Amino acid sequence: MELFFYLLATLTLLGALGAVLLKNLVHCALSLILFFAGIAGFYILLQAEFIAAVQILIYVGAVATLVLFAIMLTQNVIGETTLKGLGQNRWWALGISLVVITVLVRAIQHQTLPSFLPEGRVTTNEIGHTLVTTYVLPFEVISILLTGAMIGAIVVAMETKKNKQQATGDRRRT
Amino acid sequence: MIPLSHFLTVSAVLFAIGLYGVLARKNAVIVLMGIEIMMNAANLNLIAFSRFLPANRLTGQLFALFGITIAAAEVAVGLALVIAIFRMVKTIEVDRIEKLKG
Amino acid sequence: MEGLLNHCFWIPLFPLFAAALIAIFKNNRRKAASSLAILAIALSFIFSILLFLVYLRGHEEGHGTLRVLLHFPWFTSGGTPEVISFIVDPLTLMMLLVVTLVSLLVFIYSLGYMHEDPNSVRFFCFLSLFAASMLSLVISNHLLILFMCWELVGLCSYLLIGFWYEKPEAAEAAKKAFIVTRIGDIGFFIGLLLLYQKTGSLLLYGEGHPSLFSPEMLHLLKTHAVTVPFFGGILLTTLLGVLLFMGAMGKSAQFPLHVWLPDAMEGPTPVSALIHAATMVAAGVFLVARMFPLLDGTGAMTVISWTGGFTALFAATIAIAQFDIKRVLAYSTISQLGYMMMGLGLGGLVAGTFHLMTHAFFKALLFLGSGSVIHGCHGEQDMRKMGGLRKEMPVTFWTYLTGTLALAGIFPFSGFFSKDEILTEAFTKNRTLYGIGTLTAFLTAFYMFRQIFMVFLGKGRLHGHPHESPPTMLWPLRILAVLALVSGFVGTPFLFHNPFHHFIAADREGVAPSYLVMIVSTTVALSGILTAYLIYGRRAFIEDPLIPALKGFFRLLEKKYYMDELYQNTFVRAISSLASLFKTVDQVLIDGFLHLTGFASLTLSRFNQWIDNFFINGGFDKACAGIRGGGGKLGRLQTGRAQDYLLYASIGAMVSYLLFRLL
Repeated sequence: MELFFYLLATLTLLGALGAVLLKNLVHCALSLILFFAGIAGFYILLQAEFIAAVQILIYVGAVATLVLFAIMLTQNVIGETTLKGLGQNRWWALGISLVVITVLVRAIQHQTLPSFLPEGRVTTNEIGHTLVTTYVLPFEVISILLTGAMIGAIVVAMETKKNKQQATGDRRRT
Repeated sequence: MIPLSHFLTVSAVLFAIGLYGVLARKNAVIVLMGIEIMMNAANLNLIAFSRFLPANRLTGQLFALFGITIAAAEVAVGLALVIAIFRMVKTIEVDRIEKLKG
Repeated sequence: MEGLLNHCFWIPLFPLFAAALIAIFKNNRRKAASSLAILAIALSFIFSILLFLVYLRGHEEGHGTLRVLLHFPWFTSGGTPEVISFIVDPLTLMMLLVVTLVSLLVFIYSLGYMHEDPNSVRFFCFLSLFAASMLSLVISNHLLILFMCWELVGLCSYLLIGFWYEKPEAAEAAKKAFIVTRIGDIGFFIGLLLLYQKTGSLLLYGEGHPSLFSPEMLHLLKTHAVTVPFFGGILLTTLLGVLLFMGAMGKSAQFPLHVWLPDAMEGPTPVSALIHAATMVAAGVFLVARMFPLLDGTGAMTVISWTGGFTALFAATIAIAQFDIKRVLAYSTISQLGYMMMGLGLGGLVAGTFHLMTHAFFKALLFLGSGSVIHGCHGEQDMRKMGGLRKEMPVTFWTYLTGTLALAGIFPFSGFFSKDEILTEAFTKNRTLYGIGTLTAFLTAFYMFRQIFMVFLGKGRLHGHPHESPPTMLWPLRILAVLALVSGFVGTPFLFHNPFHHFIAADREGVAPSYLVMIVSTTVALSGILTAYLIYGRRAFIEDPLIPALKGFFRLLEKKYYMDELYQNTFVRAISSLASLFKTVDQVLIDGFLHLTGFASLTLSRFNQWIDNFFINGGFDKACAGIRGGGGKLGRLQTGRAQDYLLYASIGAMVSYLLFRLL
């Protein structure tokens, strides 16, 4: 168990670090997939198998693919343009991140946390049942949110006639 | 048994890594990835607590589920915005986009 | 029927739904949008009346003040469950009636006023949202929800003041209103945090739940002392009261946060009427009235009453030197709000709320009347270019006169009773404030009749032909005129033993009516009118006759004591120079540091080159600093990059956390 935990922690942290530090954008996205998978591993370790499955499906399946698409749509994948480095805030950002770590870890150490592992597990059946009984309102609200977000995303990203003309015009001019 | 604090520490470090990505990277897609990392770190917290608190096991997992859904919506809208901005100003380097100036 | 009281939350829901529906309407569905908005607010109004009647029946049976509470589970944070809680008590009911009625009339009036505006669909959407947020503010029993609605009211006022955003002044005014009220809201929010930290609850009244107004909690709060840096130890309630009052100061435009209200005139006139009478500014007074059990008998009351008294006099003096018809009314609103605050601060819960109600009616009337005048004069707002409108606009004139008499406090108009109650309160408790109040009453009568004489009487100075407004605009005026005339009688000590007092605060001892105060204030008001007649009524004039009489002082008043200029030259300038200072520090320290590291890494053989670099770069940097420091406001901090703002936010979060740990 412990070994598995440390292995997972190393993998996840490496994935996260790679995602924010690597030079090549595609490598970043691949590293992010590693991170997502690591988080799913943690969920399995914590006996939340259903959430782990959702994590794989949504993050690795959908989000990572979307990110890769966005990278390809906005950048030239091979060559110099992917090598975008750090902005001018990097030292401040590093400092503030270290402060955040210190503060959070201190807070974790100074709390008395529950150390007892309760028996029994949450079944997918229970999750589904609760979702349409106790939590039916949040469930519906979030469905509306998701629908709205999807429609909004399509509208925002859609190439309208006007800016298409503009784009082709630009291309012709250059 | 792995104590709860281990999970929380990993999550805290992941959160800080995500924050660093958001604040330091120039590329807007990576900034979004940083936000995803932060959200996942928060979800990890929720699941970890739900494992250790008998009364709230279901609530914690459902909350994480909602969190994942919201993150998915957010990433879709965020990437759409990135693409739209790219189309408009031909760059997605966040430090070149200075339109927030009044 | 009693069950109806448990459905009070429908009242804000009607306009809220209407706003949501109108939001998805197309821009050309004007008729549908306006009818929907009016229908929704009419439903709310009818519902409020029903609620009132049902409540009255229950009220007579019980003893003391009846409070109906509604709790819904919201979320559980830590161990304490938070509830969404609504309340129906006399204060709420009074506000519900006033807000729905005034809103309804304003909505109908807007039908005529915004007839030609191409964006009237958007207008009705915002109006509905405005009414909805104010109504939910009134019925909320939880301070956090109250705060949320409070911010929503602020947001809607921003949207509506800046409705004609293509006009730069309107956009400026909207921004100003939003930012100035925000300054007060910071105090309010800190007060809420402090309150929650000390008590762990933001519920006002609660049955079974821990709540702020339970006797034990009030006792705890009122005996608990805190130490404030530079002030020493004061009572917790005093501190809380002052903080909460800061929010009310912003919203209700009390000195020194009053500067936004006159500029808010840039919005459409129905919006001004709504802001001044029913929704925005009433929220501040309502907050003080709502928090009255907490504030009562603390040092904060002194602050409230003196701020109110000062604001009343201060704004009244400015009003006598304004020429814009709406600006005069704006300053009179500030002045009357000061009156209400003074009344509340002196312990007159009934007096303050009574004046809030009557003022809502006659000020809505005056604003809608001024809108009618502006509409009839083809957009002219300068009183010097009006005159003699009585013949062309008879209905507007008579209704306006009613409102003016009510505001001046002439018997038997409503303003007489409510103003007298405040003055009586002041007379028994604080003679200085009484003097200020009486002086303000004189000035009020004077500037209002100055307006009447300039706008409606005398010779016409208008280019072009004025015309009377359409019936959709006149009927609200007529109804409001009747209300301005009769609404005072619910609070008179002569008829039915002051039913308003028994309704709002049955358990509070009111001050005895004083004939002396009544006679004095009537005399003062009449002499104000007489003075106005002597100066403006007897002969035709082109320049204001007060200008030669008051000379420089008039100029000072016309420029509103140069408050805007003062703020511009102190706060705005200070922030700018602070920014340049930071920039210089940045340049010297950080660049210096970088050069130092450069020095360490360079070998001695490059020493010469380094000197070159240092001096040339240094000179260059200095020149840059000169250029940017001269022109740059907040120069470096406002980069326009989202990432930088995020960085500042995280630094701020960490700094506040560390401060919290250290303190």
